[in-house]
Amino acid sequence: MISRRHFLSASAGAASALTSNFSPANAQSSQLVVGTWGGDYGQLLSDIVDKPLIAPKGIEVVQDVANADPRKTKLLAERQSRRGSMDVACLSDSDAYIVAGTNAFEAIDAGKVSRLGKVFPELKTETAIPHIYSAQVILYNTNKVTAPPQSYADLWDPKWRGRIGLADILWSANTIAAALAGGGSPTNFDPAEKMLMDWRSLDVKIYPSNEALAAALKSEEVWLSVMWLARGFMWKKSGIPLSHVVPKEGTPAIVFEASVPRNARNKEGAFTYLDAMLDPKAQAAFADKMGYVPTVSDAVLPEDIAQQVSLSEADRSKLVKLDFAYQTERSQRTLDFWNKQFKG
Amino acid sequence: MALLVVPACLLVLALLVGPMILMFRISLEQYSPTQLMIATFSPDNYVRAATDPYYQQVILTTLGVALLCTALTLVIAYPAAYWVGRIQSRWKSLVVIATLFPLLVGNVVRSAGWMALFARGGLINTLLLRTGLVAEPIELLYTPKAVVLGIIAVVLPYMILTIASVIESIPRDLEDAASNLGASSLRTFWRVILPLSAPGVAAGCILVFVLCMNTYATAVLLGGPRFKMMAPAVYDQFVRGNNWPMGATLAFMLLAVTMGFTLFGSIAFARRYRVK
Repeated sequence: MISRRHFLSASAGAASALTSNFSPANAQSSQLVVGTWGGDYGQLLSDIVDKPLIAPKGIEVVQDVANADPRKTKLLAERQSRRGSMDVACLSDSDAYIVAGTNAFEAIDAGKVSRLGKVFPELKTETAIPHIYSAQVILYNTNKVTAPPQSYADLWDPKWRGRIGLADILWSANTIAAALAGGGSPTNFDPAEKMLMDWRSLDVKIYPSNEALAAALKSEEVWLSVMWLARGFMWKKSGIPLSHVVPKEGTPAIVFEASVPRNARNKEGAFTYLDAMLDPKAQAAFADKMGYVPTVSDAVLPEDIAQQVSLSEADRSKLVKLDFAYQTERSQRTLDFWNKQFKG
Repeated sequence: MALLVVPACLLVLALLVGPMILMFRISLEQYSPTQLMIATFSPDNYVRAATDPYYQQVILTTLGVALLCTALTLVIAYPAAYWVGRIQSRWKSLVVIATLFPLLVGNVVRSAGWMALFARGGLINTLLLRTGLVAEPIELLYTPKAVVLGIIAVVLPYMILTIASVIESIPRDLEDAASNLGASSLRTFWRVILPLSAPGVAAGCILVFVLCMNTYATAVLLGGPRFKMMAPAVYDQFVRGNNWPMGATLAFMLLAVTMGFTLFGSIAFARRYRVK
């Protein structure tokens, strides 16, 4: 029989263990909370950065795993708090822009992150390190598409009716592709609205997630998509017969970044972590496993990997620099149009 | 004695009423793409949501799906509930556990299983194609019927167990008496069993209706991106649009419609079966 005294002491012990081990509120200076995606990304961070590069420095990494949206919301909601729940926050460039606009991130310089000098200058920002990046391309099934489209606009050819699949979660990126196809630009998404409605009339298929889209490409339910080159690389590795085209209109890039919130509890450890994320071996491993391109000049990729995930000089000149101020200001209209008109 | 309810009340106040007051305050604020929200005190979000044909349609779809699922669940569950309620075998507890078994599997896992069944390359289409019943795969996944089927599978145990517990308490003698007086089985059911089990039917319907109105995972996974229900719309505004004020507004609209229909249903049911 469990006595009251036993129960109380056991409860107190359990509560103490919980708060000392798991609560970020009591995170010690040697502990570092990294807000990151789960899945391959989180696992690779753990295998390639946390264990070999950070643990030997006496820092214990705790991953706060979530999708980008909850993380962004958490950072915005916590920005007035004296102590935040994350020491390092991983976000895409457009999300990082929104959070940085609220002055929630520490400034980054070479004094804090020694490897910053190796970062490609065009990827640098004031409050984040660029971790990995990829470009938005046209993916197509090599068994079904013999004359692949050369531009986003070609995807509106009626011959692809019912054969184009899009991921719902990439509503913003898909809207940008439609804008570029319609003659728009990073500061003019207006043409996207007509183009999306035209796409809808061509029976474009929408899937709830990237994984559902991959399944549809695999079953050859759809033959073409607009997707990150890195995703295409991973899907190709999994056996889906895919190739890609860098569209004539240009290719928007996505950079996955990492920042240190101003209210981080372990800033010193956080900057050490950002430095490790830029380690050439870690960068090359991300390219090999996930198909994302290194952001530092001294990361050398094996030739076969480089051919599949990197852009040629000619293609690099087609990289489209997005205007995040415009994109953010228009985000509600973009989402509303996507939900209410395009999918409605 | 009254002090006994204090812990429960405190818990509800802290974890339900408190956050709801906060959410209501947020729903009156103004959305800002960069600042999350700007402090105001305006009903604009409610006006915008209530007058937007898109959200009107989403609410109508949600109500339609919830009412249809509740009705179908009731029809499917009642005979099973009658059997469970009347069973006198020593295996009864096993039957109850078997009824509960689907609840041991999470909604997401269950829906993933349905996806494997319904997909174009899934089990059903493969069987149909191999047996030559269809020449092309039929669209099952990402359709309203997939959502309705999925929801019914989720809520069925709640309806069965709620009704069964009431049927269990109806004395068998009443059925025998009705039969001795010449009533047919159907008449006995209609005039004796159904009215006496009405409280269970009402409770089951309310429980199932509320669950259906708030369906999220099943609607997203089986209905696909084009199927519109309120819970995914609330999530969309909170998480994808980062528009907390509109997300909170939609959440309160969903709550109001659910409460309104629940109250209306309860009162109508009480009048129908208590007056007689």
